[in-house]
Amino acid sequence: MANDYFIQAYSHIRNNQIWHNGESIFTADSADFSSFMKAAYKHFALDYGKFFKMDSLSKLAFMASNPLLNDEPEKNTALVMTNKAGSLDTDRKHQTTMNDYPSPAVFVYTLPNICLGEISIKHQLYSENAFFVFDSFNPSTLHDYANALLDSKKAEKVLCGWVDFEHQKHDAFLYIVSKSGTFEHSLETLNRLYQTP
Amino acid sequence: MGKGVAITGMGIISAIGNNVEENYESLINSKTGIAKISKIDTIHKDAILVGEVAMTNTAFETQLGLEENSWSRTSLLAVTAAKEAVAQAQIKDINDCRTGLVSGTTVGGMDKSEQYFYDYFESDAAWKYINGLHAGDSTQKIAHQLGLEESFATTISTACSSAANAIMLGARMIKAGELDRVIVGGSDALSKFTINGFKTLMILSDTFNTPFDDHRKGLNLGEAAAFLVLESDDIVERDGKEVLAYVKGYANANDAHHQTASSDNGDGAVLAMEKALKVAGLEPNTVDYVNAHGTATPNNDLSEGRALLRVFKDNVPEFSSTKAFTGHTLAVAGVVEAVFSVLALQNNVVYPNLNFKPLCKNSIYCQKQSLKKKNSM
Repeated sequence: MANDYFIQAYSHIRNNQIWHNGESIFTADSADFSSFMKAAYKHFALDYGKFFKMDSLSKLAFMASNPLLNDEPEKNTALVMTNKAGSLDTDRKHQTTMNDYPSPAVFVYTLPNICLGEISIKHQLYSENAFFVFDSFNPSTLHDYANALLDSKKAEKVLCGWVDFEHQKHDAFLYIVSKSGTFEHSLETLNRLYQTP
Repeated sequence: MGKGVAITGMGIISAIGNNVEENYESLINSKTGIAKISKIDTIHKDAILVGEVAMTNTAFETQLGLEENSWSRTSLLAVTAAKEAVAQAQIKDINDCRTGLVSGTTVGGMDKSEQYFYDYFESDAAWKYINGLHAGDSTQKIAHQLGLEESFATTISTACSSAANAIMLGARMIKAGELDRVIVGGSDALSKFTINGFKTLMILSDTFNTPFDDHRKGLNLGEAAAFLVLESDDIVERDGKEVLAYVKGYANANDAHHQTASSDNGDGAVLAMEKALKVAGLEPNTVDYVNAHGTATPNNDLSEGRALLRVFKDNVPEFSSTKAFTGHTLAVAGVVEAVFSVLALQNNVVYPNLNFKPLCKNSIYCQKQSLKKKNSM
């Protein structure tokens, strides 16, 4: 029943720039991802100290979900995200610390789905969540998974997408699937929106 | 609402016994399995207590007819408990219907991998221990040992909820008509990896763990494997099976609080208990006993106690934690305690909350320490 659902809103983060529904809302000339995130944090006056403890993947997912969830009243919003690199960036960091003394603060981020936990904690979502690793953006799995959650009434809305981070290269595309919205929830739309901006 | 999904077999090996009967005897005689560590040479050996399975790897290898030092202890425990469960369910041909396997583990073959860690660079002889590291290794070995062919077999590694999730997935697959029978449970052997990890989290007690006690200092790690055989109503009827108990309700939930700690007010546990009761179609006041997770860490027991108060309000049923007997068996905890709960139902008993000293600042923590017989209905 794909035609029953719509894309309510979407966001992108790429090349040190953040977009909300296709419009650029922040950009910075930062030397690295960490300073880009810090600049964005300041710009949006986020006031959320836990942000600085997060690994890069969690920061990316957190920052991309923020414009979508800030004014979202529906708390039964499930989270379904995907990427290619899993938590490799943090896994490598953890491996390096093993030469000296491994840090539990790094270790807890050596799973990609921890970023879903960070979003749940920030927005107090007690909803379903799942994280999958694919070779590339895979709209059909996301599409089917979101529809199944909505059809079976496990969730009222689903925040879906792609959040990938490795070697400073970051690529986030998130969207909320809902019972109302501008775009039809279809593979064509997902492919098109992923490629813009 | 149907009767639920039938449990027709159980198997367990833990610090308090090598099979279901021995475990039950220890439980009703308040015999703990917690002691100083004897099988792992760790620098923490004088600082911690653990729940070790008594049998040595050599004894398992003899019993299972295996080559010496070929498997991780996780697999040895797993196959032993899974075989007991299948034997109790009196399964003659495991492939006579769609039989699945869902097994939980957190450490996999880490016990061997860490032992030979420095040898991989030196020689190829140790490579089998790295090949046996992954979580699916013990699942594959169980499937092979039980003679499962072309069946649905999967591994769940969700930390201390692994086996609970395995039971849940198995029950859901039977309900959905995807499987007719499924062996569900988990296995985790002790390893330096877990001991050091929990030491770093600073939640290991240097004394016998004391669930729900006001002065609790943390947990003792334990090792175990346990499995249930779940069967559909059709198979139960076809084979005239004796049903030990039913899996009626289940749920998991997001606590939205912290990566490793539970929320102080037990949000996630409340949601999970409420959803499980809803799936079962039961009211809270029909519950006679709660076998709590009760790891004896300050955080867990507070969170869980508050969750019990929120779900059951003025009628909190009798509850106890059996971690003081077995230690925290990590991935296996959910199924160890499922086995204990079925035994509690069959024998109308509530197990003692060992090592608890009544203080009664808060009345729900005033559980008796001795075994309790409940009146049968």
